[in-house]
Amino acid sequence: MQLSPAERDYLYDSLCLQTPIRPDARNLYQFRPLEAKTTFLPGSNGSARLRMVDGGECIVSIKSKVVKNESVNSLLECDIDIQGHRDDSNFVSNLKYNLTNLLTKNFPFDALRLTKKYSFKLFIDCIVISHTSYPLTIISLATYLALKTTRLPLLVSEIDDEEVEEQPTFSDDWEDSRLLHEITGQTFQPPIMITVGVIGKNLLFDPSLEEEQVLENGLIISFYNNKAITPISNMNLALNANKDNYKGIDQSLIISAINMVNKYCSAVIHALDTLIEQDDEVDGTIF
Amino acid sequence: MPRLELYSPEGLRIDGRRWNELRRFECKINTHPNSSDGSSYVEQGNSKVICTVQGPMEPKLRSQMNHDEANIEVNISIANFATFQRKKRSKNERRIVELKNTLENTVKQCIITTLYPRTLISINIQVLSQDGGLLSSMTNAMTLSLIDAGISMYDYVSSISVGLFDQFPLLDLNTLEENELSYLTVGVIGKSDKLVMLMLENKVPLDKLEELISLAIAGSHRLRDLMDNEVKRHGKLRLKNLN
Repeated sequence: MQLSPAERDYLYDSLCLQTPIRPDARNLYQFRPLEAKTTFLPGSNGSARLRMVDGGECIVSIKSKVVKNESVNSLLECDIDIQGHRDDSNFVSNLKYNLTNLLTKNFPFDALRLTKKYSFKLFIDCIVISHTSYPLTIISLATYLALKTTRLPLLVSEIDDEEVEEQPTFSDDWEDSRLLHEITGQTFQPPIMITVGVIGKNLLFDPSLEEEQVLENGLIISFYNNKAITPISNMNLALNANKDNYKGIDQSLIISAINMVNKYCSAVIHALDTLIEQDDEVDGTIF
Repeated sequence: MPRLELYSPEGLRIDGRRWNELRRFECKINTHPNSSDGSSYVEQGNSKVICTVQGPMEPKLRSQMNHDEANIEVNISIANFATFQRKKRSKNERRIVELKNTLENTVKQCIITTLYPRTLISINIQVLSQDGGLLSSMTNAMTLSLIDAGISMYDYVSSISVGLFDQFPLLDLNTLEENELSYLTVGVIGKSDKLVMLMLENKVPLDKLEELISLAIAGSHRLRDLMDNEVKRHGKLRLKNLN
């Protein structure tokens, strides 16, 4: 919804206050409520559907394929499809780049190694059914859920196949399949990206469509293993950009944004993990 | 001879069904209340389809405006992961464009378009998983979401595929059967015998056609009842929430 100049001014002023008032009465560090489901696609190794209260919705599927190590450059491939946007548009390619870049730099690739010659390759496909605000947050949170619930079949053939010509074989029993963190034996929290809006001296997590229209700048901060990490980038989050509002960003605000992410994002991860636990009695339905 | 035993002498198909049995059919309407005017989700066996409807609304472009009736637009996207082997698809693939045109023609006959002049009704179909009956599950999902959007229609359009194995017609094919047999998909209006859609891409003996179509009509009537149950269930739920 496009705001009128008067509405925009009102919103701008209330967000710039020393104790800002957000239109939906959220705290600065608060996300919008979301609902999600996991493991509903029987044909995929992992799947998740995540929906925000504003109707923004993303479905992520993770499929695996056995590949020869020397034949591929990356063991991860991300693809994003947004309804109403062309695949080769700037909007989609930016999102795709952000997600691929984040995941390839922060992923336990050991979990995907099968033998000396073969590995799993993961195909991460995101479909955004609808979105109002900048969709990177929902895409990245849905990817988190899907990766967390991805199961890979158990290898039953030899690990060392340097000498012998042998194709990897797998256990027929899906009960034997393992989650990614069970394979590495360490805790695995996939990286996420969150959007932080900058307005005046204030920072707000997960800006909504209305807030995006009055923001002075937007930050995208990545979070992995309980701390904020690079890539950190800034961009204009609004699609129909209001250019006169858009300003440069104060350095000190970047520091405080990172501090804010460090402080509150573990809670987001914790919430997502709890969601997976509660979703555990798998009924296989999507809605 | 097909590689698989599609229809055993005892009269059982690969997945254990009889010739005139439907696969598990589940549907839900109003699944996306915040992001669309009407929405639905349909599962036919392992095929899964989400459909959302926007409109009737003012079209973005003047060229999309028709002064006498509503303009209807169908967008189909099939997810990369929908098939067993992941495959990247372009939106302009000829097969998809043909399906889109078929659906547009079908839906134009069922909606009372003259009630919505100068508007656009946009139908988005997202296929999440594909296991035979692509066109029929898309049609059924589309009907349900149009009903959810409150758009005036003459009646339900329900759709199902039938195939021919040797001399025997088989109802509601899955992928394995679709790959081996010649089959057709029909769309039926309500409980009538009127067809609004018939898609046949292979060859079928002419003397078998009538038998196939009558089986398909019977199957479609059954689906119409199942969809009607869901619509009524949802209607009751809404009514309860009102009071």
